[in-house]
Amino acid sequence: MFRQAAYDEPLIRDMRSGTTYRVPGEHTETPEIPDSLVRKEINIPNVSEYDVVRHFTRLSEMNYSVDTGIYPLGSCTMKFNPKYADVMASWSEFRDVHPLRPQETVQGNLRIMYELQEYLKAISDMDAVSLQPLAGADGEFTGISIIRKYFMDQGTDSERREVIVPDSAHGTNPASAAMAGYDVVEIPSTPSGTVDLDALKSVTGRNTAAFMITNPNTLGIFDGGIAEIARIIHEAGALLYYDGANFNAILGITSPGLMGFDVVHFNLHKTFATPHGGGGPGAAPVGVKKFLEKYLPTPIVEKNGDFYSFKDVGDKSIGKIGPYYGSFMVLLRAWAYIRYHGRDGLEAISRRAVLNTNYLERRISGSFRPSNNSIKKHEVVVSASGTGKTANDVAKYLLDMGMHPPTIYFPLIVKEAMMIEVTETVSKKDLDAYADAMLASLKEDAKTSASRPVNTKVTRIDEVRAARDLELTWNDIHS
Amino acid sequence: MTEVEEMLKFIGVDSDERLFSDIPERFRKKSMNIPLHLSEYEILREAEAIRRMNDTAGYHNFLGCGTYDRIVPASVDSIISRTEFLTSYTPYQAEISQGVLQSLFEYQSVLSDLMGMDSTNSSMYDGYSSLGEAVRMAYRINGKKKVLLPDHIYRSKLSVIMNYIAGLDLKIEFYNFDEKTGFIDLNDLQKRVDSDTCAIVVENPNSLGILDPNVTKVQDVKGSALLIAYVDPISLGIITPPGTYGADIAVAEGQQLGLHQNFGGPFLGIFSFRKEYARRSPGRLIGRSVDHNGNVAYVMTLQTREQHIRREKATSNICTNQALMAIAALTYISLLGSEGMHRVASITMRRSAEIRKALSGVPGIDSSPFSGIPFSDVAVRYSGSREKMQSSLKKNRIWGGIPASDIINHNDGVTRDIYFFSATEKTSDEDIEALRRALEAI
Repeated sequence: MFRQAAYDEPLIRDMRSGTTYRVPGEHTETPEIPDSLVRKEINIPNVSEYDVVRHFTRLSEMNYSVDTGIYPLGSCTMKFNPKYADVMASWSEFRDVHPLRPQETVQGNLRIMYELQEYLKAISDMDAVSLQPLAGADGEFTGISIIRKYFMDQGTDSERREVIVPDSAHGTNPASAAMAGYDVVEIPSTPSGTVDLDALKSVTGRNTAAFMITNPNTLGIFDGGIAEIARIIHEAGALLYYDGANFNAILGITSPGLMGFDVVHFNLHKTFATPHGGGGPGAAPVGVKKFLEKYLPTPIVEKNGDFYSFKDVGDKSIGKIGPYYGSFMVLLRAWAYIRYHGRDGLEAISRRAVLNTNYLERRISGSFRPSNNSIKKHEVVVSASGTGKTANDVAKYLLDMGMHPPTIYFPLIVKEAMMIEVTETVSKKDLDAYADAMLASLKEDAKTSASRPVNTKVTRIDEVRAARDLELTWNDIHS
Repeated sequence: MTEVEEMLKFIGVDSDERLFSDIPERFRKKSMNIPLHLSEYEILREAEAIRRMNDTAGYHNFLGCGTYDRIVPASVDSIISRTEFLTSYTPYQAEISQGVLQSLFEYQSVLSDLMGMDSTNSSMYDGYSSLGEAVRMAYRINGKKKVLLPDHIYRSKLSVIMNYIAGLDLKIEFYNFDEKTGFIDLNDLQKRVDSDTCAIVVENPNSLGILDPNVTKVQDVKGSALLIAYVDPISLGIITPPGTYGADIAVAEGQQLGLHQNFGGPFLGIFSFRKEYARRSPGRLIGRSVDHNGNVAYVMTLQTREQHIRREKATSNICTNQALMAIAALTYISLLGSEGMHRVASITMRRSAEIRKALSGVPGIDSSPFSGIPFSDVAVRYSGSREKMQSSLKKNRIWGGIPASDIINHNDGVTRDIYFFSATEKTSDEDIEALRRALEAI
C-alpha cells in the first residue's frame, strides 16, 4: 500500500533558527559605494544549516522521481539515470572550470565535447553537430534559426515565411517556429496518425521554409511515408527538420540522416539519460547536413593531432544561442552514457524500449483503445473514451498506487488521450503492475474515482483559484 | 523463459526484429561508428584519464566576466544530489510533486525579494537568454519598434539577443558610456529615447565591471519605454536592487548562487517582473492554492501562456528549464542568510579594491582607468604587448586578464587596452601578490 510522505512543511521564511553557515574572512565594513546604490534593506530568511538541510530533505521526500519508480510520461523518455555519470559530474577537474580558461588547460573537457559530437554524428548520420542549445525547445529554435540563415543566403528568406507542423506535433515545434518569426501552418494527420501526404502537398510550396516532424511520431508510429515526405519538401526547395524527442525508438536501427532530414536536435535529457532535475537542466545538440554546417552556432570543437580546440564557425554562423558552449555537465553525462552502452548497447536499448511499449499496449488494449493498430515504437497513445472513466480519473488512481501517470490529454488529436512511454528501464513485473492498475481503475465507482488521489501529499488542487488569485510569492499570500 | 521471451510470446512475435518490420530496409542503419560497451569500472577509469588531461596544478584565478569561482557550500551539492529532486520531471502531476513545487515557489519568493521585484518565474536557461526573453516580453507589452542597448555590451550577449529578436519588427540602437566615469552617458541615452522606444536595457555592474549610479536615473529619462535591468545577483547583497530604480523586468545570471563554474553550463536564468505583466511573461510559474481538503498546495499556474497549450501563440517556446539550478540557488541563499549575502558582496568589493591598489604602482598599468568603482571585474588599462602580458601571466600560473576587445561588442576609446582581473570572496592576499609580481615582470 502506497503512502507518500506528508510533512506539514512550513515555508522556509517561517523558519528562524538563525544562520549558522560561515562565509570566511574577517568582518568587513561596507565598502565605499555611491549613496544612490546602497541597498537599504534585505529581507532573506536566516536559517541554520541543519534546518535548511532538513527542510529540503523533507520536501524531496514529497516528490516522485525516476529513482522511485516507473515514470512513463509520453515523449519524455524518463529512463533510469546512471550513477556512474553522477560520480563523474561531481569531479572538480570537470566542474570547477571557468569557460574562458586557456584551451591547453582544459583538454579533458574539450575531448569530452569532441567525442560527443562524433558520437551524435554516428548515431544520427548527420555531418556536423553543435552542442550549444540548452533544451529541446532551444534546439528547435536553433535549428529554425539555421534554416532562416540558409534562406537568407539563398535570397529567398522574404518569400519562405512558413513552417509546417502536423497537428500531432509537440507544442514546442509551432512555438519555436513562431518565435523565430515564421507563420505556422498546421496540417491534419491521417486517421492512423501519420502525415497526410495530400494535405502536405497542398500547403508545401515556394513559401515553405521547413517541415518539422518526429519519426516515430507522437503516436509512437514509424511513418513509412517519410521518403515521400522528404521528396515533397525537398522538391519545393524547403528543408526537413527532425524533432529528436522520440529518438529512443531508433538508436542503431535507423536515423534522421538516412531518412532525409536536414536538421535534427537531440534531447540528451531524454534519450541519453541525463537527469531532468524536476524540470531542467536539459541539453539539445543540433545536427545538420554538410551544406548547413557553416550556419551552426559558434564555436564547435575540433581535433588536430592530439590537440582539441574551439573552432570559430565563421561569419555565416547564426552566432550565439547561449553564453558559451552548452551545458557541459549535461554533455559529460551523455558522453558517459553513450560510451558505456556502446553501439551494441544502444541498439539493445531501443529494442527493449519498443518491446516494453508493445507489451504494455497488448496488456491494456482490451479496455483502453489504442489510437491505431500499427506496431508501436517508443510510446503508445490509448484513449480512456468508452471506459466510463476519464483519462484524469485513471491518472489519479495511478497516483494513489504510487505510480506516475502517463501524459494525459495529449496529443490533442486523440480524445481522452493517455500517452505512455515506459522506456527500456522497467521490468515486466512493473509493466504488469502498471497494466493491472490501469485496468483496476476502471472498476471503481464514480465517487471513489472523483475523490482520488488520497495517498499523496495533497489531494486534487484548486487550479482555478491558483490562476485567479495568483499567489506567485509569499508576499502575495492572501490570509 | 526469460522475461523478454515471455513478453515476445505474449505479443505473439518470435523475435523483436518483427517489431521493426515497419521500417523500410533502405532506412535501416548498417553501421554506427561508436565503440562497443564498457563496464562501469572501465568507463570510470576512462573518464578518470580524461579528467587528468585538464590542468589541475595550483593556479591563481582572476577569471570572471559573467562566470565566477565562488564558494559552493557542501549542503547545496548535497541537496541537489537528492535523487527525488535530481531524477524527477516537470511537476505536471502536482499532487505527487509537492517537493519540487514548494521549492520552486520558495525560489520565486526569495529571488523576488533579492531582486526587489514583485514576481520571478521558476527559471530560464541562463542570464543571456533571459535578457533575450525580456526584450521579447517588452515588445509583447507595448509593441514599439526600438530597443536601446549599451554600446559596450558583451558580444556574445548581444548575439543571443539578436537571435531572440530576429523574428520581431524591432531594431537595436546603442547608447554610449562616459569615457571618464565608465557610467551611462545620460545625455546620449536621453537623445535616443523617443515615442517608439520599446525598452531600455541597463546593466549594473556594467560590462566594464563598474557599479553605475546612473542606472537609478534612467527612470527619469525613459519616457514610455520599459526599463529592463541586467544585474549581478551577488552584488544585491549590498547594492540596491532593480525594483528600487523602476525596472519593469529584471534578469540575472544565477551561476554565482551556489553553482559550480561548470565550464559554462548548466547555469540559471533569473527572470523577474512587475506582477501586472505576469500573463505576458515567459516560462513556468508556480502558484499557491489549496487542495480539496483546504490544505495548502502548490501547482503550475497560468499554463495557458505556455507552448504545450497555446502552441504558436505561446509567450515563449521554453519547456525544459533549469529547475534543479533554481533549487541550488534557493539553498545557497537560505544557507547564507541576509548577513552572509552582505558579506560575500562586501568581501568581493574589498578584494576588487585591493587588486586596484596593489596594481596602482605597477609600471605601465593604469588600475583605475575609470572613476567608477568595480564590483567583481577590475578593469585595468595596459598599452604594452598583449602577448608579453599573457606570457608573464601564464608563467606565473595566473588565469585572467581577459582583453575587453575579445568580449565586448564595440571597441573604442572606452575599452581600448582594457583587461579584466576579477575578484570573488575566494581571492586571497597571495593571489593578489602573485598578480602584482607577474604584471611587474612583463
